[in-house]
Amino acid sequence: MNQSRVGVLIILSLIVVACSKEDVDPKEPLGAYENGILISNEGPFQNGTGTVSFISEDLEMVENAIYNAVNNEDLGNIVQSIGFTDSKAYVIANNSNKITVVNRYTFKKETIIETGLSNPRYFVSANGKGYVTNWGDTADDTDDFVAVINLTTNTVESSIAVELGPEEIVAQSNDIYVAHEGAFGQNNKVSVIDNTDAVTSVITVGDVPNALQFDATGNLWVLSGGKPSFTGEETAGSLSRINTATNEVVAQFDFQSTEHPNHLSYDGTNVYYSLAGAVYSMSTSALELPTEASFEGLNIYAMAIKDGKLYTTDAGDFASIGNLSIYDLNTKEELKAIAVGIIPGGIYFN
Amino acid sequence: MKFTVFILSAFFGVGILSAQRDSVIVLNEVILSDSKLSQFAEGRKLTILKDSVLQVNKGMLTDNLKFTTPIYFRQNGYGMVSSASFRGTSAQQTAVVWNGININSQLTGQTDFNTVMAQNYDAIQIRSGGGSTQYGTGAVGGSIHLNDQLHFENEFENDLRIGYGSFETRNLHYKSKWGTGKTAYSIGLGHFGSENNFKYLGTNQRNENGAFTNQNLDFAFGQLLSDTHIIKFFHNTFLGNRDFSGTLTAPSNDTYRDLNTRSLLELTNFKKKYVQRVKMAYLSERFRYYANKESDAFSFGKSGSFLLNYDYLYRFKKWKFNGIIEANNVKAEGSSILAERRNRVGAIVLISHAPSEKLVYELDLRQDWVNDFNSPVVFSTDFKYQASEKYALKFNASRNYRIPTFNDLYWDGPGATGNLDLTPETALQAEIGQTLQLKKGSFSLNGFYIATQDLIQWRPDISGTWSPNNIADVTQYGLEFETEFNKNFGAHQVQMKSIYAYTKAIDNQSNTQLIYVPLHKLTATIAYHYKKWSSFFQGLHNGNVYTTTDNSQDLSDYLVLNAGLTYKLPDKYGIQTQLQLVANNVTNTNYQNVAFRPMPNRNVNLNINFKF
Repeated sequence: MNQSRVGVLIILSLIVVACSKEDVDPKEPLGAYENGILISNEGPFQNGTGTVSFISEDLEMVENAIYNAVNNEDLGNIVQSIGFTDSKAYVIANNSNKITVVNRYTFKKETIIETGLSNPRYFVSANGKGYVTNWGDTADDTDDFVAVINLTTNTVESSIAVELGPEEIVAQSNDIYVAHEGAFGQNNKVSVIDNTDAVTSVITVGDVPNALQFDATGNLWVLSGGKPSFTGEETAGSLSRINTATNEVVAQFDFQSTEHPNHLSYDGTNVYYSLAGAVYSMSTSALELPTEASFEGLNIYAMAIKDGKLYTTDAGDFASIGNLSIYDLNTKEELKAIAVGIIPGGIYFN
Repeated sequence: MKFTVFILSAFFGVGILSAQRDSVIVLNEVILSDSKLSQFAEGRKLTILKDSVLQVNKGMLTDNLKFTTPIYFRQNGYGMVSSASFRGTSAQQTAVVWNGININSQLTGQTDFNTVMAQNYDAIQIRSGGGSTQYGTGAVGGSIHLNDQLHFENEFENDLRIGYGSFETRNLHYKSKWGTGKTAYSIGLGHFGSENNFKYLGTNQRNENGAFTNQNLDFAFGQLLSDTHIIKFFHNTFLGNRDFSGTLTAPSNDTYRDLNTRSLLELTNFKKKYVQRVKMAYLSERFRYYANKESDAFSFGKSGSFLLNYDYLYRFKKWKFNGIIEANNVKAEGSSILAERRNRVGAIVLISHAPSEKLVYELDLRQDWVNDFNSPVVFSTDFKYQASEKYALKFNASRNYRIPTFNDLYWDGPGATGNLDLTPETALQAEIGQTLQLKKGSFSLNGFYIATQDLIQWRPDISGTWSPNNIADVTQYGLEFETEFNKNFGAHQVQMKSIYAYTKAIDNQSNTQLIYVPLHKLTATIAYHYKKWSSFFQGLHNGNVYTTTDNSQDLSDYLVLNAGLTYKLPDKYGIQTQLQLVANNVTNTNYQNVAFRPMPNRNVNLNINFKF
């Protein structure tokens, strides 16, 4: 009896301490996963589940498989990406054909979207709605679409037929831009969708557009990898700048014929891309591609730039735990390497 | 064989009986097409699974071998693609040999053990350890030998088995044998299918999209053309139609159809001193994969392999010399495989010497010349010392290889490309074995060590395109301990067999255990017979396996138990009838063989067997 009373007392005092601490805080924390980095890990290819890792802003605290820990269930096979609204995160499991909707700060499950999706890839929210790119059946080049999600009911309420292979999707004011990387094939388009969910424009860019980024003046930068050599018609990568007022390509920078760049980031002044394990930075006003790399000899599976730091992930042999590495952009020093999940494919700042 | 002796002597007359007897002794050997098993494997561990064992686990080869051998099987769900890990080696490092011919896929380099119907073979032999000198590519960890046995006897035998069980599992097996002293036929038909829609224990999910139907046809024919000539023909067709099961986290809607054929024509000329054989074989494989089974769109792959082989065995006193020349032409193509041909010529020399009754040793050498890569010289040596009637000591050492497959070299699909610069994987190995044969039981203990170089692995390059490279070096070592007991108490008979295997398979660079290789595997079967009744219990304990290369994640160990009861009805009109009830996974254990792919819960099968 005595012992259990002591136990109760300890628990009570802990709660009191916790409460009083909260009272002191000016702003109530929104959840355990506020102020930090989220990594989406695809998980093993055929059999398994993807996971999400959380790293605190000071890089001191790391928690892997946070969704499983909070909800005691799996996210699904091949966690392709995460999209966000103000309060929610939409975690897309490509091979499971489902989106798990969670509170973005607590990672508590709200619901699962399973109908109206087919090979879902990326999510963006705009115009009070959610937009998800879908490959459809990969054997069918004409069934690709963007699913429109009602953010109140979290159901797919309509779909917009688009060109082959919609991949990354971004939004600026009322307009949504979709990069058509080409799914299992290759494409060279960027579609523009307006707030009535109509495709208003299809812009031709370089082959295999794999990344989109807005700059401070509202221009859209499109990085195209070019057709890889196995296609038998290899083309060079290119970087395009689209004026979003006219939706026209106003500048295009071509790479060497066998160069296939990937990953695009922007830090307010420069755009950053990766090429053959190196990271290059380029001023948005530059007239030519940079010739000197900022970083070299990296193994990059995902990349992001924020507050003077470069974040890259390394998927290793794709069958073991991958790493997140953080570098100082100025000193080029590696600040930290953190073990995350299997095939870390997305870096997000929460 | 006595009967054959009688028939032959009656046919050719008594005057040449002694000459005939010699031929007959040789005939005994030449009936089996995979003659190396009896002639050149003295220092090897060789296990024979007989009909009685094969009947316990019906269905596909995986079902049999996982309970009766140390081999570990990685099944993508029950009935789905199944690959073997023999002594910790990869799926491509286990050869499957049909009537002496390596039948591993030209496309993938492996045999899917759920596309071989075990019950149609009279005997299946497991040859442990390297055998590349005799069986070529892939015989690294060991080889599985499927042999059709021809019976030159004046009999007409039929065996019909019909079974039905849980998850709408059906099996049908019919085998008919007929022979005279000079001619032998056998024909086998097999069907094995299931809805396979078992419940995933502990969830509200089922094994959706897991239905399969497999059909199999076997045909064998042999004709003695003279007292020194025999012609044989063997054929096997397998037709599989499988929906590939989903996983716990991802549904599936795909289907896979495959058609494999194997034909072998063999002409043998034999005398007491020599045996010469000419073999012609044609193997074909083709598959269609429908990623969405409601759609007509599919991807395909196919290959055809033609083999011509001349084999000359010469006996001189206590020596055996065997020279083999082989020519092989393979054509393959597919949706993502460039149409290519491969030509191979091989030369093999096998020498065996038995200096005394107790001692036999052997030396093998092999070299192949292939148009699309350099094939290594391989060797094998073995040694057997029969110290007493009870105790034998065996030793063998060999160099073996696994060649790059058509997928490895010529793949050309989205996001992946083959690599023309690949070299064969090579493995050096050594093994020591001991056997103790007692009246009521036997023991065997084998220790092995394998060092594999240039393991071919697919990885993405810096631009994200996947391609294979000779990346890893691996070391495998371990122990296999087997015991067998027989005991009779009056009308009661008890048989027991158990196998324990300890397998280390280490990636030399990371120093971690390879994925899906259990450190411990234990199997045991106990059979009990009493008059018309017999029963068996069978257990498999599989140690935990790692699912990631850094050993950060694993699948826990499991124990699966099966049990069966057989009753022999009184014979009527010369028909023997048996009823058999088998319960698999009697404890309803929830286990996974591959991560996120639960295996079947408790299930029962009722079989009726007629022999006439």
